[in-house]
Amino acid sequence: MTLADWGIVLARVVLPPLILPAIVIPLVWYERRVAALIQDRHGPNRVGPFGLLQSPADILKLFMKEEVVPSSVDKLLYYLAPAVAVTAALATFAVIPFGATLEAGGRRIPLIGADVSIGVLYVFAITSISVYGIVLAGWSSNDKYSLMGGIRSSAQIISYELAMTTAAAGVILAAASFRLTDVIAMQEGTFFGFIPRWNVFLQPLGFLIFFTATFAETNRLPFDLPEAEAELVAGYHTEYSAMHFGSFFLAEYVNVIVSSALTTTLYFGGWSLPGFHPTGPLGVAASVLIFALKTAFFVTVFVWVRWTLPRFRYDQLMRLGWKALLPLALVNLFWAAALEMLRARG
Amino acid sequence: MTARIFFDAFAALAIVFAGIMVVTRHPVRSVLSLVVSFVGLAASYVTLGAPFIGVLQVIVYAGAILVLFLFVLMLLNLDRPPAERGGRPVQAFLGGLGAIVFAAMLLGALRGSGTALPAAAPVPPDPLSLGEPASLARVLFGEYLLHFEAISVLLLAALVGAFVLARRESRV
Repeated sequence: MTLADWGIVLARVVLPPLILPAIVIPLVWYERRVAALIQDRHGPNRVGPFGLLQSPADILKLFMKEEVVPSSVDKLLYYLAPAVAVTAALATFAVIPFGATLEAGGRRIPLIGADVSIGVLYVFAITSISVYGIVLAGWSSNDKYSLMGGIRSSAQIISYELAMTTAAAGVILAAASFRLTDVIAMQEGTFFGFIPRWNVFLQPLGFLIFFTATFAETNRLPFDLPEAEAELVAGYHTEYSAMHFGSFFLAEYVNVIVSSALTTTLYFGGWSLPGFHPTGPLGVAASVLIFALKTAFFVTVFVWVRWTLPRFRYDQLMRLGWKALLPLALVNLFWAAALEMLRARG
Repeated sequence: MTARIFFDAFAALAIVFAGIMVVTRHPVRSVLSLVVSFVGLAASYVTLGAPFIGVLQVIVYAGAILVLFLFVLMLLNLDRPPAERGGRPVQAFLGGLGAIVFAAMLLGALRGSGTALPAAAPVPPDPLSLGEPASLARVLFGEYLLHFEAISVLLLAALVGAFVLARRESRV
């Protein structure tokens, strides 16, 4: 491998984790503006044009603020928890293809961190690691509200992981591969000449279950019981302040982006569009833009749902996960298998 | 060569944190050391050309089983273990004996294998190697189908057993 090859590998690995947090800054502003729109008020509109500089100002403030650490915390784990949360959130993006293959200077550069044969499983593995960030925050804070939040969160994430994995198994079955580039490749083309060949049309139930479960996995409303303000002050991050609090905030928003990107990839054809065959740098740029727009759509749904639906009660959450979503995900798996048998018979 | 360097680094990580897991007297930190050790082990599998085994190692052990361990420890609140240093001579003697026997076995096995450990797998890994999902599935659901089904029945029995025990507890 030459130096240029090493540079390309380094860029593919390092750039996404740098760009994602940068996207979070306008995303926070976007969420607050959409929330204001839904609630019929103005939202941040004073700092900079359209209030766009409000988020950078807030983040600057988070960095400058005094850090208040309770004396009874377990110091090592208390500082480790936000780092685990952010690392896990950023690491997931490594296997998601965010554009077509770029051909430049005699090299083929696939726009993906690592095109591994276990892509979907890798995402689930990292998701299961991300639980530790929240659980550790809850436990090390030595506070009953934090602990309750941490315990709720781990129970919730483990419960919804089952439904999410089983729903995604339908897509894996159809693609006959865990590789996310293969999942995108199988979704190229159309049905009847005008409907895109996306998995959402083949497995609509699977998509609904998967997308619902991602809300629970990211601890967003209506499943934000780990930080339910009315009951737990702020849940697992009650005892955190300044940028350590900000880290959990960052992790949540990165998780929203990554979940949207994953939904796009599994069910909406990723960067591909029917009849679109990217060639040259411009085509590749267009594919990245398509991917970004599709992802932005689901991010908007995340925001929209947050300001529309009230929070579930905990028993409702558990009942929905185990008694509704998991059996339905199994139904979807049989449906996917039946479709696959029909296709194999021609 | 690169794979070998990464393999050594992750193997060292797994061994060091396994040691910390044994030595530390703090139950929660002990579980977390085991998590790091398992992740190191998983990464070693990946460098050996078995990514599927590696990712299962993380999902099953680090992700599911150890979270439940942590759950129980946090609820029991065992953060102040009683200091028992040298209080149990019989256990200390048997433990020491076990360690010596194990070390002897390990040395014997290493000497029997002749030279040093075999070199790590080349990158990119062979798509037909056993660590890749497709080839593993072919073996698991072909040649070893009966064994696979037998184990799943065993797991089901364990599941039902756990359920029965838990129910009995709650009724009393």
